[in-house]
Amino acid sequence: MKLRDITIRAGRSLKHAKARTLLTSLAIGVGAFTIVLSLAVGAGGRQYASNIISSNTNEHALYNVSVKQDGADSSKPKKYTDAQIANYGGYEMVLLKQSDIDKMAKVDGVNSVMPYFTIVPKYVTREGQEKYQASIEPFQSDVKLEYAAGNANGIEGDSVIIPDEYREALGFKNASDAIGQKIQIYIEKGASDPLNPELKAFEYTVVGVNKKPTVAVNGGTTLQLTSDNMKVMNNYNVQGTPAYGTYMSALVMAKDNVSTKTVQTNLDKAGYTSKTAEDLMGFIFQFINVLQAILIGFGALAVLTSVFGIINTQYISVLERTQQIGLMKALGMRRRDVGRLFKFEAAWVGFLGGSIGSISAVISGTIANPIISKSLNLGSVNLIVFEPSSIAIVIVGLVVISVVSGILPARKAAKLNPIEALRTE
Amino acid sequence: MIEVKNVTKTYGKKNNTFVALDDVSFTIPDGASVAILGKSGSGKSTLMHAISGLDKPEKGEIIIDGKNILALNQKAIDKFRSKTISFIFQSFFVQANESCYDNVSLPLEISGTAASRRRKRIEDALSAVELLDKKKSRARDLSGGQKQRLAVARAIVSNPRILFADEPTGNLDSATGKVVEDLLFGYNKNNDVTLIIVTHDPDLAKRCDVQIHIKDGKIESIEGNK
Repeated sequence: MKLRDITIRAGRSLKHAKARTLLTSLAIGVGAFTIVLSLAVGAGGRQYASNIISSNTNEHALYNVSVKQDGADSSKPKKYTDAQIANYGGYEMVLLKQSDIDKMAKVDGVNSVMPYFTIVPKYVTREGQEKYQASIEPFQSDVKLEYAAGNANGIEGDSVIIPDEYREALGFKNASDAIGQKIQIYIEKGASDPLNPELKAFEYTVVGVNKKPTVAVNGGTTLQLTSDNMKVMNNYNVQGTPAYGTYMSALVMAKDNVSTKTVQTNLDKAGYTSKTAEDLMGFIFQFINVLQAILIGFGALAVLTSVFGIINTQYISVLERTQQIGLMKALGMRRRDVGRLFKFEAAWVGFLGGSIGSISAVISGTIANPIISKSLNLGSVNLIVFEPSSIAIVIVGLVVISVVSGILPARKAAKLNPIEALRTE
Repeated sequence: MIEVKNVTKTYGKKNNTFVALDDVSFTIPDGASVAILGKSGSGKSTLMHAISGLDKPEKGEIIIDGKNILALNQKAIDKFRSKTISFIFQSFFVQANESCYDNVSLPLEISGTAASRRRKRIEDALSAVELLDKKKSRARDLSGGQKQRLAVARAIVSNPRILFADEPTGNLDSATGKVVEDLLFGYNKNNDVTLIIVTHDPDLAKRCDVQIHIKDGKIESIEGNK
């Protein structure tokens, strides 16, 4: 018997038992629904996470580059070294010096090294306005920001980008009014009297106003300046203190054609630890993957349950159609083909269930997406992303599982003795 | 030619054995119509099953066209059943929820006939039993006589050389039974096909060329009309 004819006959038998077919398929459909949806949530989550990463990090950057420390026993006295050491709540950290920065710059694959400044301004203000606390950070051209006004894709000189909230606080009516205006950032002079600190105003021109970002973590509440200006302010702030000339860590940019992983290895050889953007954001992926695995686990349970459903239904089907099987065998149908007929029926059920589940998953995901995005304030970001390839894999997988569960009933059908079968009235 | 030589078939084991066929031998010439007569439990059905390769007697030979079908492997027997023989049963065994066309199509699908060549043959078989107008009707909507005619169409569509009919008119009234009988004998004569009818109806048996009477697994007598 030809495979095409078996497939058609199998489909027709299912059509004749519509209710049973539908119910069995629905059982698989529940599993397919859960699995497709969790795959889509995983895909969407990962996409969202990599959006966050690319919005907040630079793919060429290595973060938190600092001196590698041996895991020496902290309970024993240590030999003195002339390294600058910062102590935070019992955790010691060897600080970077200019010599370290220079050394890093020479490491293979490194494009530039930017020390990380831990400077906190006293306040930010402008003429005739209130004083506001603020934090500042160096501008990174690769971090995506949405601008309400101004074009700040590369800032230079004494320029500053301010968030929209500060624009309002500093008394600019709208974003474009702020462009070209000057604001002052007050920095405390290093080693000055803590009770009556000496302050100095650093004046910068606003070149951009950025909107509150939907995915970016930074840039939302910080003022951004060039790295050079950061350094000037930092030096003013730490002059005459032990921190002068040292840095907590540095930001290393890899060359365009060199992967950050390679640079990370090279830096490690030079004695510096570092983190790539993926290292930094890896926990997000891990979280998404764990969540996805749990959801898929539920789906797999549903599929497992439906496997018994298929076996049961197919057994009943074999019993019901004993006569038909007997007739087909009497007419010379081969055992293999009788078995195939029932396996193909199971395959159809799997295909139907997979399709029903996938389609309803896509429909409910499409309906849920805007609702989720709205309630989580994600803007136009979709958290549920369906990939046709993964849906196809799920359906094919379910067809295979169904065929496997159809094996036992199919074997029973194939083994039926036609004389016995035809005797059944 | 069908040669049945010393066929013995027993059911059950050891102390509980039942001899269904006891050293049965006879010969059926090609194109003959043969009635196998006997009471229920006489072994007539077992004999039909043996000749059609559904059952395997432990002793003897059944030689059809020079081949001992009892010595064939399963694959060859399946092929023999699908290409050489056909069945008609007392309780029709038509597929109630399938159309007449699909019912008749089944043997051709089993024998692996190409889809393009099936249509003509199916329609010819349905015309032969005057059911072409019911082509698309479901078998469950047919009357008893129509169902048996459908079964005849299904039996002849594969151009068999031997046609087995197990009580073909047992479930029919005499008028519709007559129609089916005429169909069977007509096909037997016009196509030179061997017709083997298992029955306990003496009137039906009389229309056959040969009557084989079976009792307790043994041949009681073989009568010929010619």
